[in-house]
Amino acid sequence: MGILSKKFLILVGLAILLAFLISFPFFATDYWMTLLILILIYTVYASGWNLFSGLTGYTNFGLAWFIGVSGYVSSILIADYQWPWLFAWPMGALFISLVSIAVGYILLRIKGVYFAISMVALTEGTRELFGTGYLEPITHGGKGLPFVAGIPLSTLYWSILFLAFVTIFICYKITSSKFGLQLMAIREDEQAAETLGINTTKAKILAFTLSSFLVGLGGAIHCTYQNYIDPNYAFNIQLTLTPIVMTLFGGIGTVFGPVLGATLFTFIHEILWAELTLLYMAIFGGILMVLILFFPQGLLGWMKRRGILPKIRKI
Amino acid sequence: MGEAILKVDQVVKRFGEVVALDHCSFDIEKGSITGLIGPNGAGKTTLFNLITGILQPDEGRIFFKGEEITRKKPYEIARMGIGRTYQIIRIFPKMTLLENLLVVGREKGKAVVEKAYELLHRVRLYEKKDEDASDLSFGQQKLLSLAQVLMLDSELILLDEPAAGINPTLQNELMELIHQLNEEGKTFVIVEHDMKVIMNHCQKAIALNYGQKIAEGSCSVILKDETLLEHYFGR
Amino acid sequence: MTNFLEILIRGLMLGSLYALVGMGLTLVWGVVGIVNIAHGEFVMLGAYFAFWTFSLLHLNPLISVVLSVPIFFLIGATLHKRITERLTNAPELSALILTFGMSILIWNLAQFFWTNTYRSVPYLTGNFSFLGLTLAKSKTISFFLALGMTIALFTFLKYSKIGKGIRATSQNSEVALVCGIDTKKMRTLTFGIGIGLAGAAGVIVSLQWVIFPQMGGSYVSKAFAIVVLGGLGNVQGALVGGFIIGVLESLVTQYMSAKMAQILPSLIILIILLLKPTGLFKR
Repeated sequence: MGILSKKFLILVGLAILLAFLISFPFFATDYWMTLLILILIYTVYASGWNLFSGLTGYTNFGLAWFIGVSGYVSSILIADYQWPWLFAWPMGALFISLVSIAVGYILLRIKGVYFAISMVALTEGTRELFGTGYLEPITHGGKGLPFVAGIPLSTLYWSILFLAFVTIFICYKITSSKFGLQLMAIREDEQAAETLGINTTKAKILAFTLSSFLVGLGGAIHCTYQNYIDPNYAFNIQLTLTPIVMTLFGGIGTVFGPVLGATLFTFIHEILWAELTLLYMAIFGGILMVLILFFPQGLLGWMKRRGILPKIRKI
Repeated sequence: MGEAILKVDQVVKRFGEVVALDHCSFDIEKGSITGLIGPNGAGKTTLFNLITGILQPDEGRIFFKGEEITRKKPYEIARMGIGRTYQIIRIFPKMTLLENLLVVGREKGKAVVEKAYELLHRVRLYEKKDEDASDLSFGQQKLLSLAQVLMLDSELILLDEPAAGINPTLQNELMELIHQLNEEGKTFVIVEHDMKVIMNHCQKAIALNYGQKIAEGSCSVILKDETLLEHYFGR
Repeated sequence: MTNFLEILIRGLMLGSLYALVGMGLTLVWGVVGIVNIAHGEFVMLGAYFAFWTFSLLHLNPLISVVLSVPIFFLIGATLHKRITERLTNAPELSALILTFGMSILIWNLAQFFWTNTYRSVPYLTGNFSFLGLTLAKSKTISFFLALGMTIALFTFLKYSKIGKGIRATSQNSEVALVCGIDTKKMRTLTFGIGIGLAGAAGVIVSLQWVIFPQMGGSYVSKAFAIVVLGGLGNVQGALVGGFIIGVLESLVTQYMSAKMAQILPSLIILIILLLKPTGLFKR
């Protein structure tokens, strides 16, 4: 086919998409900016979650814990210590990833559903803790912390766009690498992997920490975008569940599943919310059930099975 | 009598009140093929679990190539050179055959892929390299499992009932391969219930019952041993 | 002194209720292998069942308790047969997400149809005196109801043929299958029993507290703590676990604060999972 080979077309397509996304702030309305920023934030959350849980099979029900802790560190630095957002954000992410190394070392010995429950317990406990009187001098307790970071919307947009790209790139690289295979082996049969020479503890903790860093960074940006943080907002179980649902929607364990899921889901959410506000949540619950019962591999998984997409790890 | 590649020394393992292994001791000679026999529940799989580090003995020690491995982690022991297959096959079902091997290999880049290809050719599964491991037949999965162990360049290979559940032709192929590998210097310990397999392929046999070693010696002697027959068949 | 005794008794009464909910959850978890996040929603439905039968049909709630068991059993069994049985061999995440979706569906539908207005079943109000202690009538009757249900459950599990089949399936479903036990039927029956217990618990709850669509949530988190405490699938463990949680909650609420009592379930879960993941009690 000459110069019009598949690979070339894909690259051209990606380049156009990239150009479109980068120039977005110059022509988009506020409504569309908001929408796209949310899509990008949730892309980071979903991809970050999938990087650990989709590959290792350890269901992390504590995504909100990553988001909340990093969000708090970053927001407090901006609001109370006048740190510029450029340094506050990575600091929040760094903090949560360091803590995650320790937490991962302790909690990743627990398997299956119990791990999921313990992460929920951790998140709930931290939420309560951040709301108590003891920590109020630092965290502002239940009152919440409204703040302004002095960042123009377009700059925030470009930041989250950049983070989303980096996150997807990391997922792409890892999934088709030996490290990614090791994580998958953990999901398939952890003990057998151990007896085949794979240091599963190290692999798990590494993936967990990386996930926490990326998601934490997204969380810091998210809180800055909302100009507000309080324990219920920051540690809300919805922040854990929505990215998981998005990932399941798009295809768990794949590279682009979470992106696809985040995008489609946000659009569907917008439509449903506008048309059927009252029954919105009930329908959401119903969709979840249908998804699990009939499309457990998500959209991409379904497409791969039907042969519409090649069955390779790279996507 | 060659050097001992594996030394199991007075090993005891209890599960609550049940004594699975009771002061078990033996050496495995380097380059040998040894059979491990005994009725169900005798402690054979537990022994394998202790050697590979999945479980820790309550008493006693285990040495590999002169180094103590009693308290080492499974992945450390595997990297030192002990490989093991399971009674119920444990490969990675939702990964391709190639991936099943790549994930084990310790080399980098092209080298590990080359090695994987080579091993796939050796077990005659190269054509299926991009298929999911779950699509293989039972016998093919056994071969894949062995190939995984070979990716590690294991010097001591523990096989848990390798001949069980596969047709005689495949059995022969498998045992052929084991002999080839043995000639290349690999040591084998094979758990088997099929006495013909033990007779035809092992130089030496160790018999266990109720967690104790009840006999050890060359195959022909062992399998005529009256006490042993009594243990097995309750005569 | 009297004060402490009252608090303790209050805790035990609370515990009996939590135990009922916890036992249902652990039974389903252990036998069917499904973590039912929507378990609390059935408690809520049970409470609404009591409310509507009481206000529309003037049905005595004590009768509703008895009625609720077969009704919710049927609901549970049907639910399992049609929906959750499909997930028997699926990864655990699937059951978690499915039941989570079910939970959202149920309480939002409840909210849509019945609104957020607080309801109650003012059947037994007021206190009475007993040996110098002041006890609430509703809580006391609830305690005996819960106890009665628990005894019935244990008798059923221990002596009936089905009960034995359920216990066998819980311990080793493969062996049970080989022994000729219809494990699918056992799972369906168990799921039904679990939901039946939840529904009955809900009726009992309606006697004591306000009823609203989102009330299931707090029961589920405590139920999880109970299951972890008592050991997965361990019904006796869940009974004891329920009492422990009830008493602890009562004590912490009294001597520290209600807010601290909220952290309790999470704390217990983390501590047990880290120190003794199989639960405090042996099978």
